[in-house]
Amino acid sequence: MNNFFGIDFITVILVICIGLYTLLLAKNMIRMLIGYELMTKGVTLAFISAGNANGRIALSQTLVITMIVVEVVSIATALAIVMLIQKKNHSLNIRKLTNLKG
Amino acid sequence: MLLAFIFVPLLGAAIMPIIRKIWAKGSTWIMTLVSFYLVVTTGWIAYQNFLSSQKLVLTEWLLGQKLALSVDGLSLIALAAIGLVSLVTAIYSAGYSLDPDRRPGYNALLLLIVAGMNGLVMSTDLFSLYVFLEIVSLVAYILIAYQNDVEGLEGSFKYFMLSSVATVFLLLGTTLLFAITGSVSFIDLAAGIKSGNIIVQLGFVSVIFAFLVKAGMIPFHAWLPDAYTAAPSPVSILLAGIVTKICGVYTLMRVVLAVFGFTKSFSLMLLLIGAISVVLGAFLAFGQKNFKRMLAFSSISQIGYMMMGFATGSPLGLIGAAFHFFNHAVFKSLLFINAGAVEQATGTRNFDELGGLAGKMPVTGVTSIIGMLSTAGIPPLAGFWSKLIIIIALWQGGYHSYALIAVFASVITLGYLLSLQHSVFFGKVKQGLEEVHEVKPVFYWPAIIMASITVCCGIFFWFIIPKLILPVSSLLGSMLK
Repeated sequence: MNNFFGIDFITVILVICIGLYTLLLAKNMIRMLIGYELMTKGVTLAFISAGNANGRIALSQTLVITMIVVEVVSIATALAIVMLIQKKNHSLNIRKLTNLKG
Repeated sequence: MLLAFIFVPLLGAAIMPIIRKIWAKGSTWIMTLVSFYLVVTTGWIAYQNFLSSQKLVLTEWLLGQKLALSVDGLSLIALAAIGLVSLVTAIYSAGYSLDPDRRPGYNALLLLIVAGMNGLVMSTDLFSLYVFLEIVSLVAYILIAYQNDVEGLEGSFKYFMLSSVATVFLLLGTTLLFAITGSVSFIDLAAGIKSGNIIVQLGFVSVIFAFLVKAGMIPFHAWLPDAYTAAPSPVSILLAGIVTKICGVYTLMRVVLAVFGFTKSFSLMLLLIGAISVVLGAFLAFGQKNFKRMLAFSSISQIGYMMMGFATGSPLGLIGAAFHFFNHAVFKSLLFINAGAVEQATGTRNFDELGGLAGKMPVTGVTSIIGMLSTAGIPPLAGFWSKLIIIIALWQGGYHSYALIAVFASVITLGYLLSLQHSVFFGKVKQGLEEVHEVKPVFYWPAIIMASITVCCGIFFWFIIPKLILPVSSLLGSMLK
């Protein structure tokens, strides 16, 4: 295995941690989605560098293209949900979203 | 043949926009026909391959030997459960009041989620598992928020946030395993990974964490009651009956059986998480005032049973887990059908406003008693046999304290379900409920179908367990070699 994978992987872990931190601490729902996007970008980078490391770059590129398509669809769905919440609640604050409890 | 399991529902979803223009009422018929077709095809495959011969794995190669779909004992049980639950959901949705203009779209989403789940149970590599998992989850977010109310949107957003984190971890684990082996298919992964390697262990932990979140096990369960409660009734039947089990429990079983294999520490961890889910889920269910919410916590507790049975790693435990998987799909969707029927008839799900409905709604009352007794594990219903097998497997594996926990939790299950029955169906008729009638036949026929399946599985267990569930245990043997 190529030794660049270690360096790449540290970057990946950093990006994912930043994304997770954003996700956990943000109060704004759009910011939470940005955190999620950061995490997926980290995973995409990990896939490409893994493919580079083990010599299966063509396979990893195919998988990454599929992954990007799936992520775009999921982020579009999530933004639609956030938009509808904003229309009902007149707020993007996640702390005000407390109708379900127990 | 196997490709039809994905393509027939997809085709149904694709023609919905045309149906909407020319014959809007036909969309429900198409949904019902497709799910009926799935049930019949599953039965045919079972008859062809599992009853008459002992051929255990059915594989179909696509795209010139690049991608494979495969059906074995475990997938077949999952396919049967998917077909049955989608059939009753289709019948139930036919009577559910929706905007007629949006109904074809709703049915298209139901067909998409069925196609996604069918693909998920037949996939043979980690990446197509991810793609189908995302299809199922995405459609589930949309369906939970389908009525456009604040609660549905909130439940949907919570589900999205937690399950997207799970997805990221699943992909991270896939990446790590891919970096080691250079492939994502289960066979190559199983051949390529060496236990003890730190990267493999990190990948293993990521993948298992993702599936535990998707299954809603106790430390990661926060989204599950909200999503179940907020969803429209037919959607919560589908979600509780099958979607979370396929996304979490089935995938975990498949990945562990096909790729990683059991280790002592993994078994102990899964047993501990399963036991915590069983006990805490049951205790949390006790405190609920909302019909659907109580059933959601009961779901968490029952998933714990499956995990405990699976964690033993013995053939008996696997049989118990697989049988409980099927039984849970049947009786939990039955109880959610009853919850939906009560809500249709009275307009509320709150226990404080309900009471004495058994006389007013006889069919719903009787079927809910059958579902409740099966959940609690009372003989001769199906739930008893699967729980018995799980408890025996735990005892045989030497996990005596866990077996006792399982028995104890079964008693608590009976307790909270009896309190549910007491406050909804028995006792005096509450004020304002004097005019309540039995719901329309389209709402109680699904309950009758599911109740009779539960009773039949319980009475004919001597046929069903050896013929249909036993092939599952061979998966364990193929893994070990």
